[in-house]
Amino acid sequence: MGFINYDVNRYTPKQMVAIPLVLLILSLAVLGYTFATTGMPVTPGMDFSGGTAVTVFTSDTPDSLSATFSGYPLVSIGEGVSDGKYIKFGPMDDDSLQSLATLINERYPDAKIDQIGASFGETLQKQAAIALVLSFIGMTIVVFLAFRTFVPAAAVVLSAFADIAMTAAVMTIVGIELTLPTTAALLMLIGYSVDSDILLTMRVLKRQGKLDEKLAGAFRTGIIMTTTTMAAIAAMWAVSYFGNIPVIPEISAVLFIGLLIDMMNTWLTNAGIIKWYMLGRGGTVKETEDTSKAKVTPVKRKGSK
Amino acid sequence: MNTQKLVDLLKTWQVALLIILLIASVFLIYPHIEDEKFTTNLQYGLDLSDGTWLQMEFQAEVVGFETERPAEEFLADLQKKLDAEIYLIDDDKLEIRKFFPRDQLETVFAESGGRLTSYDQGVSKETAELVKKILEDKLNALGTKDAKVNPLTGFSGVSQYVRVELAGVSLSQAKEIVGKQGRFEIRVHTTGNATEHILYGDAINTVGVPTQQPPGGNAWGVSFTLTEEGAAQFRDGAIKYGATAAPDQHYLDMLLDGNVVYSAPLSTDLAAQIRVEPIRELYASTGSGEDGLNDAKTLEIHLRAGALPVEVKVAGSGYVPAALSDYFKTMAVVAFIVAAIAVGIVIFFRYREPAIVLPMIGINMSEIVILLGIAALIQQQLDLAAIAGLIAVLGTGIDQLVIITDEILHEGKVPSPNIYQKRLTRAIGIIMVSAATVIIAMLPLALMDLSTLRGFAIITILGVLIGVLVTRPAYGKIIMAILSK
Repeated sequence: MGFINYDVNRYTPKQMVAIPLVLLILSLAVLGYTFATTGMPVTPGMDFSGGTAVTVFTSDTPDSLSATFSGYPLVSIGEGVSDGKYIKFGPMDDDSLQSLATLINERYPDAKIDQIGASFGETLQKQAAIALVLSFIGMTIVVFLAFRTFVPAAAVVLSAFADIAMTAAVMTIVGIELTLPTTAALLMLIGYSVDSDILLTMRVLKRQGKLDEKLAGAFRTGIIMTTTTMAAIAAMWAVSYFGNIPVIPEISAVLFIGLLIDMMNTWLTNAGIIKWYMLGRGGTVKETEDTSKAKVTPVKRKGSK
Repeated sequence: MNTQKLVDLLKTWQVALLIILLIASVFLIYPHIEDEKFTTNLQYGLDLSDGTWLQMEFQAEVVGFETERPAEEFLADLQKKLDAEIYLIDDDKLEIRKFFPRDQLETVFAESGGRLTSYDQGVSKETAELVKKILEDKLNALGTKDAKVNPLTGFSGVSQYVRVELAGVSLSQAKEIVGKQGRFEIRVHTTGNATEHILYGDAINTVGVPTQQPPGGNAWGVSFTLTEEGAAQFRDGAIKYGATAAPDQHYLDMLLDGNVVYSAPLSTDLAAQIRVEPIRELYASTGSGEDGLNDAKTLEIHLRAGALPVEVKVAGSGYVPAALSDYFKTMAVVAFIVAAIAVGIVIFFRYREPAIVLPMIGINMSEIVILLGIAALIQQQLDLAAIAGLIAVLGTGIDQLVIITDEILHEGKVPSPNIYQKRLTRAIGIIMVSAATVIIAMLPLALMDLSTLRGFAIITILGVLIGVLVTRPAYGKIIMAILSK
């Protein structure tokens, strides 16, 4: 790959792991601080805190909109491209909601309305947290079953964890709220993140050859994988953002940030740990873990130190 | 590639399966022109088709209990203290059809000589199904063209919510129809203005449309039937409080949410019949002329509306207008195409070989077509989150094709069939593990009722499965055939 100048073999494991480790600690600090001050590690969006969101295309100014809706708990009015307006309201009782819905229906019949009650939001939040934990545990089990060796499996799980934690921290910093769609994106990230980690681990543990070559080969394949996915996601983000479609921009923003972070965690954290592990074992691996049932003679001689 | 090779390739099960599924999917999606508009068999969720969704929370709870006393006495005691309908749904489980916070129930249970062992807001599955049926009947009767009603049941088997989706109805209308569910009751006057309960709306079996009785006459009314138990309750109540003996002193009231919506005595005929046996077919007359007809129409709605056995509160709702949903649909397609082109460019930049890039993109697209075919088959609704899932599938799909290609093309040389097989197996091994993790990671979302995310998870899981089982093995065969020319 011409355009990425990182040489996966240039640094020692310690150097490789140092940067992500510092970033992980910083991220956990950000999440911890947000948790201590607001009770949630990430700013919850309307799906979890309750409220009403209205999406409408109108040339009315935010001022005239806030005058129209002055009788309701207006939280914010956001503007998108081509007259898209996002109006947010805090929680309100059923009667106000009914009159608000009627008002919107009269004034802006083409508005999209979403409303989540406060207690329903709490239920959703609880379920989303459970889903996230269950997914992570499930992923851990699959990874350990697949590798059956502690250090490589733990390295994959650790970098997946770092991906989620760092992405969540970036979300807090840049102000992306945790909603149902962004929760889905975080879960998707668990899947994506282990993709390149598994490629790396499989290549290093189960292929024959020199460690340096295997790392470099895995890196080449891994980077092309992640960049293609990122290209798809960037395209999805651009179209949905400039096209004023809800839901998809948040999902793609989180996935994009997450994949960027995942590149670092795969090729610094995970690669660092696996390199340290392999060097500690003399750089060779027994054939017993090969998943392929076909026992064909290898083309290359076994790698030596 | 010569013809012989192509035939050989088509004869491998991997490629044959891919082609069969592709053809089947196109039939399942069934793109066609209807009323001069392009349509398919795909189902769209509410983001992409105009309409309203309402999620309502049951104001009731299912609780576990323990008591040393006979269960019947204990229940009677609770019923008196809570003034609520209470049903025993299991040996040690109660459904209380009125909302109480947990601590309040704990106190009341302790006072009645028992103990609260579990607490879940919601209703039993049976009650939820009843509510579903009632709502569906009501919506259909009101002519709502496309209504879906789904109780959301948690792992505990208790349904806390019921979700209603109405196509082509505005939010305020929908709330009018569904959200303001009333509670219907028939009471009988005892002495003076005092009344006693006879039956609730759930005792009403069917409700007719306004009719004239006698036919062609000018007097309007609504006929309705009671369930067998309802008819028995009606008879018992009427006899016990004297409505059959002296109908004019004991009017019967129909109440909706505690307000009297209809009040009339038993007719002398009916009073005489009821004294003999329970009567299931009843007729409530509303008067003559235009007024009588209008009153009859209102009463019909009241009788239907009253049927919900548990009070519900709107927990969440949303509305997408037709103009926006059409726009979202178009933009979702645009987003998808742009994403596919972006993927194509990056892949081409990496391999610079059309013989590799074209099959890759082709396989990737066929994966999406098969996925849509299955979505059409299982009637999975596509909403914006599901579209994002689709694009995510596109991303993982291409990832794994890259793994296969790089694994086979190791060191830039085309391997011999033996080595090729081994490398393909190894590549599939990597793919299997990462597919398993994606599926496991998405499983909680697919099983839980986090409303919109279910579609996302199901689409992602299906996409990964199709990729692992069908399209990627086929790609392995195809790329081998192309490279070994």
